[in-house]
Amino acid sequence: MRRLRLIVAVLLCLSTVAGINAQSSDSAGSSEYLIKAGFIYNFAQLVQWPPATFSQADSPIVIGILGTDPFGEIIDRVVQNKKLDGRSLVVKRLKRGAPLRDCNILFIGSSEAAHLEEVLQSTKNLPILTIGEMPGFAVRGGIINLTVEGNKVRFEVNIEAAKQANLNISSRLLALARIVPQAADGKKSE
Amino acid sequence: MNLQNLSIKRKLMLITMLTSSAALILSSVSFLIYDLISFRRQLSQDLMTQAEIIGFNSGAAMAFKDEAAATATLSALKAKDDIVAAALYSPEGKVFANYSQGDKRLPSSLPSHLQENGYRFEGGYLQVFQKVTMNGERVGTLYMLSDMRQWNLRAKRYTGIIVIVVLICSSLALLLSSRLQKLISKPVLHLEDTMRMVSSNKNYEIRATRFYGDEIGRLIDGFNTMLSEIQLRDSALQRANNELQTSTHELEVEIIHRKRTQDELLTAKQAAEQASRAKSAFLANMSHELRTPLNAVIGYSEMLEEEVQDSGKISNIRDLQKIQAAGKHLLALINDVLDLSKIEAGKMQLHIEVFEIQDLIGEIVTTLTPAIGKNENAFQLRMPKEIGTMRGDVTKVRQILLNLLSNACKFTDHGSISLEVDRLRTAGQDWIRLRVGDTGIGISTEQQGNLFQEFTQADISISRKYGGTGLGLAISHRFVQMMKGRIMVESAPGQGAVFTVDLPVQAAAEQIEPMQPGETVSSEASPEVKTRGDTILVIDDDTAVRDLMSRSLTKLGFHVVAAAGGEEGLRLAKQLRPLVITLDVIMPDWDGWTVLNKLKADAELAEIPVIMVTIVDNEAMGLDLGASSYLVKPVDRERLATLIEKHRAMRFSTVGKPGVPPANWPPKSQKSSRKLEPVGPRRD
Repeated sequence: MRRLRLIVAVLLCLSTVAGINAQSSDSAGSSEYLIKAGFIYNFAQLVQWPPATFSQADSPIVIGILGTDPFGEIIDRVVQNKKLDGRSLVVKRLKRGAPLRDCNILFIGSSEAAHLEEVLQSTKNLPILTIGEMPGFAVRGGIINLTVEGNKVRFEVNIEAAKQANLNISSRLLALARIVPQAADGKKSE
Repeated sequence: MNLQNLSIKRKLMLITMLTSSAALILSSVSFLIYDLISFRRQLSQDLMTQAEIIGFNSGAAMAFKDEAAATATLSALKAKDDIVAAALYSPEGKVFANYSQGDKRLPSSLPSHLQENGYRFEGGYLQVFQKVTMNGERVGTLYMLSDMRQWNLRAKRYTGIIVIVVLICSSLALLLSSRLQKLISKPVLHLEDTMRMVSSNKNYEIRATRFYGDEIGRLIDGFNTMLSEIQLRDSALQRANNELQTSTHELEVEIIHRKRTQDELLTAKQAAEQASRAKSAFLANMSHELRTPLNAVIGYSEMLEEEVQDSGKISNIRDLQKIQAAGKHLLALINDVLDLSKIEAGKMQLHIEVFEIQDLIGEIVTTLTPAIGKNENAFQLRMPKEIGTMRGDVTKVRQILLNLLSNACKFTDHGSISLEVDRLRTAGQDWIRLRVGDTGIGISTEQQGNLFQEFTQADISISRKYGGTGLGLAISHRFVQMMKGRIMVESAPGQGAVFTVDLPVQAAAEQIEPMQPGETVSSEASPEVKTRGDTILVIDDDTAVRDLMSRSLTKLGFHVVAAAGGEEGLRLAKQLRPLVITLDVIMPDWDGWTVLNKLKADAELAEIPVIMVTIVDNEAMGLDLGASSYLVKPVDRERLATLIEKHRAMRFSTVGKPGVPPANWPPKSQKSSRKLEPVGPRRD
């Protein structure tokens, strides 16, 4: 069932959340990342960070983009002027080797596929929601992996990884996700 | 069938049933409506809750555009039968996920009015719409449609229950009312039955039974009391009816009896009237017949007296005078009886003419002088010098005065008798007042009451002592009445009496009527009338001329008779044999020439001189035809008087009857032997 649910197509003409109109006339790439940016925003809504994560009540949620940035300005526009529980969202573009501790959400671009283990190792046990878009990302220890099935954007969740990161993911999010197990050896289970 | 004419029984049942059913239906329907309204509210609340849950559940799916997940969420509605369709719409209003049960499909774009949370009823469906949010952000709209199956079902079921309950209750009410209505209807029906029996059998002995002590019971009591009363009255009425029948029968017998009596009375009355007429006729005839021999008796006794006086046989004179007096008295009686019978028969008529009052009074005084002196009474006459003329029946006035004065003389001894004549004017009319007073025996008040009635004297003893018929006053009274005058008496026993007669100076014109031949009885009975030397016949169709001629000639002392036409003139000429005839020429019917011809053609009348008085100046023709003289109007009175005097002188010298001179002409030539003349020969 869950599998079936993931296959259901999202109508192209639908807008993304947060009221930003989808530009169906844009290239397939920009449309895809518009949706993905929206998804990232939605994930921020359905994930609870440990209370100690934020130093202040209005400390922003920091979205780090590691490696090559596939979004461009799109993601900035999506989170612009948005607030979650009084926190604004801030996008930071990070180079490899930059400290990741300050991030609350870390998008790991495909350019970092070769160094994935290393990156994941550095965020281990930190309350950082790691999001990737490469096959086996979740299985290898990432928390959410964005996939494209047909022409629809879907996602996989590694609950074990979330628990290790001490993040609480809403069941509503889990209900829509494909849950993948943690591979002991870090290999892709599928 | 008219509801109002239903029987009481049915009405009562109907009232009970209608009342109870109405109450029941009203309360049930109120309850039903209340229940359905609250149930509907409950339903919509339930549906709203449902919508909230579904909306919440589908929020993430909407946010992540997971149609499959959203559709799966909507599929959970399968458990709810009444939700026929549901859909999720994106914020742009496009269908995102769809759910339907049966044929009902929701529109592909969200209706514009369904933007806020809420519900509405439309077309038998309950529409619910709910915002779908995620973390406070709107991600879409949920739209659900319920056919309110439970509600409809509940409404149907409850309606069914109510119908059944109403039916059961109505049946129960019918049953109860059909038994309980007898409480009211039974006595009423019984009363009605009784009433019908009473009215159809007319038997008032039947009584209605009283069942209960309520109003109807009292009504029945009242009805029974009424019946008793009617019964009582009925029998009383029956009794009265029987009595009435008996008395009616008696009355009928009485009526028949009276009718017979009435017929007899009528016959008797007719016979009496017949007899009365016969009596009157007989009286009239007898009077005429009696007068003829009486005239002879009186006339010859007068002649004898003169002869005896001439021969000197004085001893016989007293006897002859007694015969004369007795004859004259008898004549007076006969005249009175004749007058009265004519009055009674309604045949007495007035002969109106103008006369000098002074002449009349003088004549009467002269006539009565011996009678006044008989009882050694003094006589006083009071009369203004210029008393003038009056228009009336001189004969009747004379008779009245003679009657009153004779009576005064008769009933007064060594006293005084007075006659007052005066003019007065009352009630817009001129009157002549004649008062005759005496100092005689007087008349008591009771006697005055029937003083003027026929055959009545004041006292029976009077007729023995004083004689007389008792007709004088009655006749005077009748004459006064005929002349529209009045007669009164003032008297007391021993104080004398005063009789007052008022007569109009101008008698009514319509009473001027020519005498009928049948009435001129006295003219036949008394030959002297034919040659009465002072009568002048005036024939003229003009009333004024007639009146003027009459006045002027009457002033000259002539007795004037007027005729309005030739025919009447001829007839009067034959009757009266006047001294002179004056004749007009231009008249209707017969003109003057014709009349003159006829007069001259009649041997009896040819001698009477005729003076033509006309405006036609044709003296030659008049004289040719035999007229004695010819006068042209306006007439010179002096000339007329001279002419008449000439003709009179001529006539008396040729036809001359020395013993019978005219009454008033010349006034001073009256003979003493004629002192009682007015009582004797009469002209009515």
